[in-house]
Amino acid sequence: MFIDIKQIPEGEESVVIRYRELSGKINKIIGILNDDDNKIWGRVDDENICIETDELLYLESVDEKVFAYTKDKVIRLEGTLNSFMNSINDECFFRCAKAIVINVNRVSSLKSLSSNRIDATLESGEHIIISRRYASEFRRLLKGDR
Amino acid sequence: MEDKKKVSRFEKFLTREIGIEFKACLYFFAFLFFYCAHRLIFGQNDASILHMAEMILSCYGVAYLQVYVFGNCDEADKLGVREYLGFFICTLIYCMVSFFGNWYEKSISSTLIFAGYILFMYLCVFLIYRVKRKIDDKILNADLKQFQKEHKKVNDNDK
Repeated sequence: MFIDIKQIPEGEESVVIRYRELSGKINKIIGILNDDDNKIWGRVDDENICIETDELLYLESVDEKVFAYTKDKVIRLEGTLNSFMNSINDECFFRCAKAIVINVNRVSSLKSLSSNRIDATLESGEHIIISRRYASEFRRLLKGDR
Repeated sequence: MEDKKKVSRFEKFLTREIGIEFKACLYFFAFLFFYCAHRLIFGQNDASILHMAEMILSCYGVAYLQVYVFGNCDEADKLGVREYLGFFICTLIYCMVSFFGNWYEKSISSTLIFAGYILFMYLCVFLIYRVKRKIDDKILNADLKQFQKEHKKVNDNDK
């Protein structure tokens, strides 16, 4: 990608983006310029959409592809779960298994299971099991001791 | 930083071993109570160290079996075929050890009552863990609501 940066002595500052295809990288740049800290870009059926992170129920990594689930949409995201966690920097998103991140604000109830596992019921009614490996950290997160 | 938070294989093993240790001690004390009560009823005021050694060793062995073969059947979320099979086989092992170890003077009736006691104990342990999880549910959900309340406030302030 060619980057052309020019300093101007006066006048309004502007950024012009020229793209052939609206890729994830371009969306990210637009997001930064729009100051969209609480929004992410993704694709639904070849269409780029922007969505508030608050709306996400959970994210799942399947075959090295990341999918974000809302109540009615499945959005394909660029990058990995790790990159999402690093970029989002929000305590409400918790990694509850190797391939799953949940939005704690969208959990409607929790159930304690044997072997120190936790069953999280999301607002959509879906159940996500928080494995023993992550359950202790999850309890600490809820108590604010993390 | 992230790696430090991950539970190592050794820590996982240690957690499991502590669980087995706890289980073995729990059942040992329950058996010791039954054994002592049995002896007192039949007019004996002493307990054999050899019998106690057999008890603790069998408790350890069966605790390993319960955890590694029957998926911690006494702590299960619900009772299924695997759990019932676990209870039955573990009870059978204890009864055989008690019979051939001469804990109850090879009395069939005492061994059968002991079998009933073990099964009742398994049921009690299962119910105790269930009640414990129900209490834990309440704590977890209260913590969840508090977390959501606080983070909603933070998010609203950000906006």
